[in-house]
Amino acid sequence: MAKMTLKVPKLAVSMQEGTVVAWHVSAGAAVAVGQTIYTIETEKTSFDVESPFAGTLTPLVGTGETLKVGTPIAEILT
Amino acid sequence: MADTPDAATAVAIYRTMARIAAADRAICQALAAGDLQFQYYPAGGQEAIPAAIASVLAPDDLAVITYRCIHDIVAKGTPMTEIMAEMYGRVAGTSKGKGGPMHLSDPRSGLMATTGIVGAGAPIANGIALAQTLKGTGRIVTCAFGDGAANIGAVHEALNLAALWKLPVIFVCQNNLYAEYTSFAHSTASPSIAARAEGYGMAGELVDGTDPFAIRAAAARAVARARAGAGPTLLECVAHRLQGHAFGSDIAHMDMAALERAKAEAPMRTFRARLLAEGWASEAELAAIEAEAEAEVAEARAFAEGSQAPAASELTTDIFADEADRPDAPARARPVVALPEAGTRMLTFGQAVTEALDLALGSDPAVILLGEDIEDPAGGIVKMTHGLSTRHGRARVRGTPISEQAIVGAGIGAAMCGMKPVAEIMVCDFAMVAMDQIANHAAKLRYMSGGRTSVPMVIRMLTAGNVGSFGAQHSQSLEAWFAHIPGLKVVAPSNAYDAKGMLLAAIDDPDPVIFLEAMRCVFVPGPVPELAYRVPLGVAATVREGRDLTIVSWSWGMQEALAGAERLAKDGISAEVIDLRSLVPLDFAALGESAARTGRVLIVHPAVEFGGFGAELAARLQEALWGRLRAPVMRLGAAYTPVPFSQTLEALHFPDADGVVMKARALLEAR
Repeated sequence: MAKMTLKVPKLAVSMQEGTVVAWHVSAGAAVAVGQTIYTIETEKTSFDVESPFAGTLTPLVGTGETLKVGTPIAEILT
Repeated sequence: MADTPDAATAVAIYRTMARIAAADRAICQALAAGDLQFQYYPAGGQEAIPAAIASVLAPDDLAVITYRCIHDIVAKGTPMTEIMAEMYGRVAGTSKGKGGPMHLSDPRSGLMATTGIVGAGAPIANGIALAQTLKGTGRIVTCAFGDGAANIGAVHEALNLAALWKLPVIFVCQNNLYAEYTSFAHSTASPSIAARAEGYGMAGELVDGTDPFAIRAAAARAVARARAGAGPTLLECVAHRLQGHAFGSDIAHMDMAALERAKAEAPMRTFRARLLAEGWASEAELAAIEAEAEAEVAEARAFAEGSQAPAASELTTDIFADEADRPDAPARARPVVALPEAGTRMLTFGQAVTEALDLALGSDPAVILLGEDIEDPAGGIVKMTHGLSTRHGRARVRGTPISEQAIVGAGIGAAMCGMKPVAEIMVCDFAMVAMDQIANHAAKLRYMSGGRTSVPMVIRMLTAGNVGSFGAQHSQSLEAWFAHIPGLKVVAPSNAYDAKGMLLAAIDDPDPVIFLEAMRCVFVPGPVPELAYRVPLGVAATVREGRDLTIVSWSWGMQEALAGAERLAKDGISAEVIDLRSLVPLDFAALGESAARTGRVLIVHPAVEFGGFGAELAARLQEALWGRLRAPVMRLGAAYTPVPFSQTLEALHFPDADGVVMKARALLEAR
């Protein structure tokens, strides 16, 4: 068991921040590697982020929040 | 070698594909988790191409690849630990963290270079192949690029030259149907890249890039041609990209229906199914291969995460072989080299260059010459290579098409493999055509590879200003352009003695050297000893001692500087004249010592004064000697105009002895 932290990814050279527009997995649910867990929007694109880990998801932020690259966004207990 | 598909081969190819997919996935996951932050170009959909080609190559064959590269690198056999450490920018990476995901090199596994410049690898692949041919190693070269690269000039130049010289190269066009954000159909009228092969006079094949055995069969034919000396092949492998251009980039430009079809028919999926259907492997065996690949990548990631960032001292190493050659390095005592007396034998600057090339070719089999018109009977546009192809053979004194990128790239690739190429680019102005090869590759490969590769080549070029009417595109002195690129040495001798001695030093130098030969100097005679001698780069010469001011120049600017000093002497003004001779490495100590003594400095150069190298020297002098200077450092360069055709105007454009005298007087009057 390990707690993995997901941070806001850098999706483009120019990207400074992004907005979580949707969670596709609810808190406490199990996620698989490659499963879409949230959608993030930047000024350039909208991107579905797939889970890099398998485990139990705990979102750390709500939808509509604009966050800087590198900000913790969710934890996955593997 | 067109064999029947068999279990062992199929499993070996699948194993490589699984390792590629695992590495690609791990990097994307680290990016998704926010642990890595860089532009990454995934290889999903293209796994089969290098995996199948690798199955018909020898491990010591060589490769040049492009920045969508993880599949090519893994297939080439570069250790996964070093790949991952480079992705993390760590010192244990292939390039000590100095190259990054677009610039991995690992010559130990035959991966000579990864370029971030579309199409730029093709000219370099030719040079690597040329070195193999000249050395008789039997190795061949694969050069991977995308469909987008097929439309850039460097690839065109390289394909023509490879066919002309029958080089052992396989040009692998991985057509993933998109060039960044533009579809193949929107960038290319021709339905096939491979169809162009006929126009170049080489073999071409178009294959399904998702079918490992189709790729393998075509690659086997290409390998056979290359090993038999029958020349290059343009092998186009079509494999639909399964994601956007870069990780996280939008896919609005992609045809969604085609993308979904491609995902359903992804080679990882279809080849796996075929292995099972043909009975080549069991489900358990495939699962074990996949698990092994995942474990290897996980271990490599842990290795990367646990390794160190490069030490701060790494910032300034691997620019040149010797860190002290950086022009901003602290002054050091340079070894005193005993040079022969000039003697009484007179040669022109041009003849001195010819003699240096002749001596180098005669004494070192690694030396080769490349350039337009350099073979006899032409022997170069001003005859500086005359007689050399007759004496040393056309294999080593190689006339080329008018293809500056291909010429420089061939030199780069050959230099990376132990040759000492001397490339000739007729006039400095034409070097702009090859600036990507010079500035992005020759200059930076040592640094981008963390010192694993180097480019010991010389690029000679004429600066043809002020000889009468060559006009705006044949007369420039662009030394400041070159000096601005870390990794290039820039040499500009002014006389026959230095031309010979510095060219021999440049040929033996471990780094790329831009060697500027002024047309104004080429026909000027001077004393030149017969034997081989080397004038060290980075040592200025005080050619006239004086006490009232220091005049510094290089190249043909020295003619005006000396004429000006002569006239000043008649008026009782004692000017010290320094011939800088090389801009990088820079003998700032000699200049600073003289400036501290005279307190007044005039910098003279034939290049445009605005933004010229004189500005750098003036700034450095004022920073170092403020308080000891008795007047502001002055410059005399060319006017801020293109070089005009009319000789009346040309004379006004360039600096001359009158200007030197006028500026020197102004300096002496300044308080």
